[in-house]
Amino acid sequence: MRRQLAARLAQSLIVVIIVTTISFFVIRSAPGDPFSYESTTITPAIRDHWREQFGYNRPLPVQFIRYVTSVAHGELGYSFQMHEPVAVALAAAVPRTLLLTGLALGLSFLFGIIIGVLQATHRDGWFDRVTSAVLLFFYSLPDFWAALMILLLFAYWWPVLPAGNIVDPVMHDYMGGWEALVDRLRHLALPVLSFTLLTMAGITRYQRAAMIETLPMDFIRTARAKGLSERRIVWRHALRTALTPMVALLGLMLPALLGGALFIEKVFAWPGMGLLAAGAVAARDYDLVTATVIAGSVMVVIGSFFADLLHMAIDPRVRE
Amino acid sequence: MMLGPGVDDSFGRQLDVPLPPMPSEMRSTLLLIASAAVLVGCGSKEGSSSSGTAGGTVIIDTPGNAVAIFPPYVDDQIGRWVQDLVFDRLADLKAGGTTIGDRGFTARLAQKWTWAPDSMSIAFSLDPRARFHDGTPVTASDVRYSFNVFTDPKVGSPTAPTLTNIDSISVRDSLTPVAWFKRRTPEQFYDLAYQLVVLPQHVYAGIPADQLRTSAATRSLVGSGPFRLVKWEAGARLELIADTSNYRGRPKLDRLIMTAVETPTAATQVLAGQADFVEAFPVDQVPKLDSSAVARSNIEPQLGYTFMGMNQHVAKSKTAPNPIFSDIRVRRALSMAVDRVGMLHNVFGNTGLLAHGPFPMTASYADSTLKLPAFDTTAARAMLDSSGWRVGADGMRSKNGVPLRFSLMSPTTSLFRRRYAVLLQEQFRRLGVQVDLDFVDGPTAVLRSQAGDFQAILHTPGTDPSITGAKQFWGTGGIGPAGHNILPYSNPKVDALLDSAAAAFDPDKAKAAASRAFQTIIDDVPAIWLYDVTYYNGINRRITIPQPTLAGWWMNVEHWSIPADKRIPRDRIGLTAAKP
Amino acid sequence: MSSIGPSSRSIVGRLLAHRSARWALAVIALLVVAAIAGPWFTAHAGHEQLDIVKLKNTPPSWRYPFGTDQYSRDLLTRVLLGARISLAVATLAVLLSTTLGTAYGLISGYAGGAVDAAMMRVLDGFLSIPRVLLLIAILTLWNPVPLSGLILLLGATGWFGVSRIVRAQTLATRHLEYVESARALGAGTGRILLRHVLPNIVTPVIVTATLAVGNVIALEAGLSYLGVGAREPTPSWGSIFFDGVEFFAGNWWVVFFPGVAIVATVLAFNVLGDALRDVLDPRQLHRSAPVTPGTQPRENG
Repeated sequence: MRRQLAARLAQSLIVVIIVTTISFFVIRSAPGDPFSYESTTITPAIRDHWREQFGYNRPLPVQFIRYVTSVAHGELGYSFQMHEPVAVALAAAVPRTLLLTGLALGLSFLFGIIIGVLQATHRDGWFDRVTSAVLLFFYSLPDFWAALMILLLFAYWWPVLPAGNIVDPVMHDYMGGWEALVDRLRHLALPVLSFTLLTMAGITRYQRAAMIETLPMDFIRTARAKGLSERRIVWRHALRTALTPMVALLGLMLPALLGGALFIEKVFAWPGMGLLAAGAVAARDYDLVTATVIAGSVMVVIGSFFADLLHMAIDPRVRE
Repeated sequence: MMLGPGVDDSFGRQLDVPLPPMPSEMRSTLLLIASAAVLVGCGSKEGSSSSGTAGGTVIIDTPGNAVAIFPPYVDDQIGRWVQDLVFDRLADLKAGGTTIGDRGFTARLAQKWTWAPDSMSIAFSLDPRARFHDGTPVTASDVRYSFNVFTDPKVGSPTAPTLTNIDSISVRDSLTPVAWFKRRTPEQFYDLAYQLVVLPQHVYAGIPADQLRTSAATRSLVGSGPFRLVKWEAGARLELIADTSNYRGRPKLDRLIMTAVETPTAATQVLAGQADFVEAFPVDQVPKLDSSAVARSNIEPQLGYTFMGMNQHVAKSKTAPNPIFSDIRVRRALSMAVDRVGMLHNVFGNTGLLAHGPFPMTASYADSTLKLPAFDTTAARAMLDSSGWRVGADGMRSKNGVPLRFSLMSPTTSLFRRRYAVLLQEQFRRLGVQVDLDFVDGPTAVLRSQAGDFQAILHTPGTDPSITGAKQFWGTGGIGPAGHNILPYSNPKVDALLDSAAAAFDPDKAKAAASRAFQTIIDDVPAIWLYDVTYYNGINRRITIPQPTLAGWWMNVEHWSIPADKRIPRDRIGLTAAKP
Repeated sequence: MSSIGPSSRSIVGRLLAHRSARWALAVIALLVVAAIAGPWFTAHAGHEQLDIVKLKNTPPSWRYPFGTDQYSRDLLTRVLLGARISLAVATLAVLLSTTLGTAYGLISGYAGGAVDAAMMRVLDGFLSIPRVLLLIAILTLWNPVPLSGLILLLGATGWFGVSRIVRAQTLATRHLEYVESARALGAGTGRILLRHVLPNIVTPVIVTATLAVGNVIALEAGLSYLGVGAREPTPSWGSIFFDGVEFFAGNWWVVFFPGVAIVATVLAFNVLGDALRDVLDPRQLHRSAPVTPGTQPRENG
């Protein structure tokens, strides 16, 4: 098992390196550079001076070697757009995205599992039909459309919750602990709601299928024969087995989640990874683009790595 | 000699009202004592000013992140806001002010100035009360240091080209910097007093010039302006508080917060009262603002004008004449075929400003009496027919088998230009001309316009209020990498007229010569003059804004106030620092 | 499992007997008819600006059932035209991605061993790239991308999931008795793949493709919403949306109607995909391996 993990890690590392290399050359082969932003004051001569100063006029392979060397020394470069080291910009954005996606993912799994189990145990009943239909509807909504509609609904037509920002940009710093927590939750509410509605459907359907497969199994029959209560059978024995494939799903979902986060972040002015990456691409902020790609793939790799670990812990068959 | 940033349609500007009198010594002293009380901890949590005339927190939604806030590097709209709130210039441009001589200017850091008899130098008398935010007095050597930083090639400031006529700055005594010029020019005062922002030498002098851009020290600003920078969380939030001991009196507001929120969401926030101010509210929705109980609109014409330029050459070529646009009859016909007034109403509602030629109406030399090609589609059709571009079976025009078809480049970042592009495309189609829209993102648009890699372009030059600025865009000297004449347009008659306008020391003579130059340009039809950029800012109704006194809303923020009876909780937090 | 896929006749029959499938098919049929014929019957052309001053942003009325947009163009016409673009882009992109994915999965699964392992590791790499971010980056950097380029990009980045499913099915099929015996009888690899393996993987491939059409429609809309999708004056549902989004609360119809069109279409394809799975292979319902179609993570925008 240890060897398997090591191989998995090595493979992940290779993926990260390849992705980094590709993004390095892709962003640099596009028209423009960090100093080609629209300006009527900057003359081409000044732009050339800056390119010279930061080495962007050198041949690409030379730039690449320079970049790789500095990354190997733990130096991720400088963001001209954020006017700070790339590491600082990432350190601010990553936790914001993790908070948003983490919370939404947690809620999606919680509700998804509960509803999925109930659907399976009441298969083809009214609850199964209604929730399946409603969830399929949410599953079919484009992310940005759903987010905008939710914003419109709860922040404009019926303005009960704030439209955007992570916390109140002024008062949060002056609030007591409890008040500050409520403020944070209020600002989290709409983006998390949008995100959860969108991701919950897939999880629910998955859980339903896994549960339907598990319920007729021998050990469940044995448990019934022992006279255990139905509730205990479903929520303890069957669910434990049916959860195993859910973990694999978690690993698979991560890349898609990062993409989906961009739309939610854009609508709710949530300055996380998605917005940072999109802004960096638009500004040709070379180092920041490459660094967000690295951070994104590392997050995905770590995520699926832990999903694998969890999978092994739950399901002894995988360990063989 | 350019002024004006511009990721988008936003530029420096000037308006026609004199500066209000400074607050009395008495009041600023009282305020000083009050704020000192807070600093030593005697103040309540409410702060010093929540009950007085001063107080209030204003949240400004910004469309993105400030790219640079350290003055030598400032080149974007948001960066300029921050710079002008935190730092001072020697003098401010006032009252639709002419940039010729010094009559258009009002005192700022310099209380007064004295010209040498030969006009080759100007001695400025700094306000002895002026202090940087760390309490250090502003001195003549700070001015000299600032000039050296802005012009140091190792720094590479975008402002440097505007300072080339200044030879050096010397220090006569601690309060008297003297600027030495290379040539006597009508706009030499403007070049220095308006373009140079004064930085504290003792704060930044220790940083090597080529490291200023990336130095952490240049993220925390120390200036002498009305507001202090407290915190900059790039991409998210920027906080400024009132400089209560400012030599020009403290601002009436306590605090400004800028948060990065994109337009649709920002509009919702302003209408809900969650944010207080947004520049350029979605223009279609301004009636929503006017009927809102929470916010209202505030019109602000900008110093930019937009035109559809027609490349004189084949795209990317510096010499080969453009097969379509080299014929003036075609250019004129295209110009006459578009409903400029209708498009203006479509995009800006009933309050837009039509362009009158190659200048914004906010410029001191603007002339609304120039004669533009009339809107006459019949004449336009006839003109195209006579120039050989005839309508074919498919309704589109062609000549010798070549279709009358061109691409129109526009940056996606500009909403106004994007909308005009779609409107123009359809109007040209009705004429039998096929236009392909070429929407490109910002950096690509910049590179391609400089390389002449376009056929037609929607362009918004960020003109500076000076006539020499216009030369950069329309003079032969502006062609090439040092200038901004991208079409390129060249007419010796225009060059001569613009030269004599720029050399005139009498504003009226300058304006007359400029008008003749502009009429000549208009008659050559290198472009279709579309609109002056106008913003409808959304602003919360509890904020009182006096008549604008200086160019741009942010230059006047120090005079914004919130009456005590209209204050909401965030206005009452005062100047106390937040918990760590 | 038989060596021949389910007969097409029985599929149609069973689909028509399936209640939700009937609905989904009806919606899709309506969309296709509207997309093909609709613009011929509307009074205006999609690019026609009726009166840029008096008729901009008019709310829905008898005359303009979906209202007009900010350029005074008839929104009903544009939504119908948008159906053409959106459906065509999605269908072609999915055709491409399904072909790519099936080929990759077949080769990997049938070759087995080291080739399979290597190909799967490469696939893992691809799967760890956030598709939406990749597309946004490419489309931003090389804007404007023509429609054909958009289709290619959507197709080239959408095949990873399919190939996993195909590979799993191929692995399972490869060792079935009749395949082994066909091989023993000297059938070539190509023949075995085409005649014996492919028919067995048709079911999940069709189901996945159906679901993917819905996904790609939503994805294209998302990209257009960010301003990097279809170009003016060509309307896709997403680009109509992009036109209206500047401040959507005021002219809700510009945002609402294309949105409803997107949701209805995606929903129809999702329902149809589910129904197809029920009809084609009821046992699939009980499978819960990560390859189960329809339970893949959403990737739409």
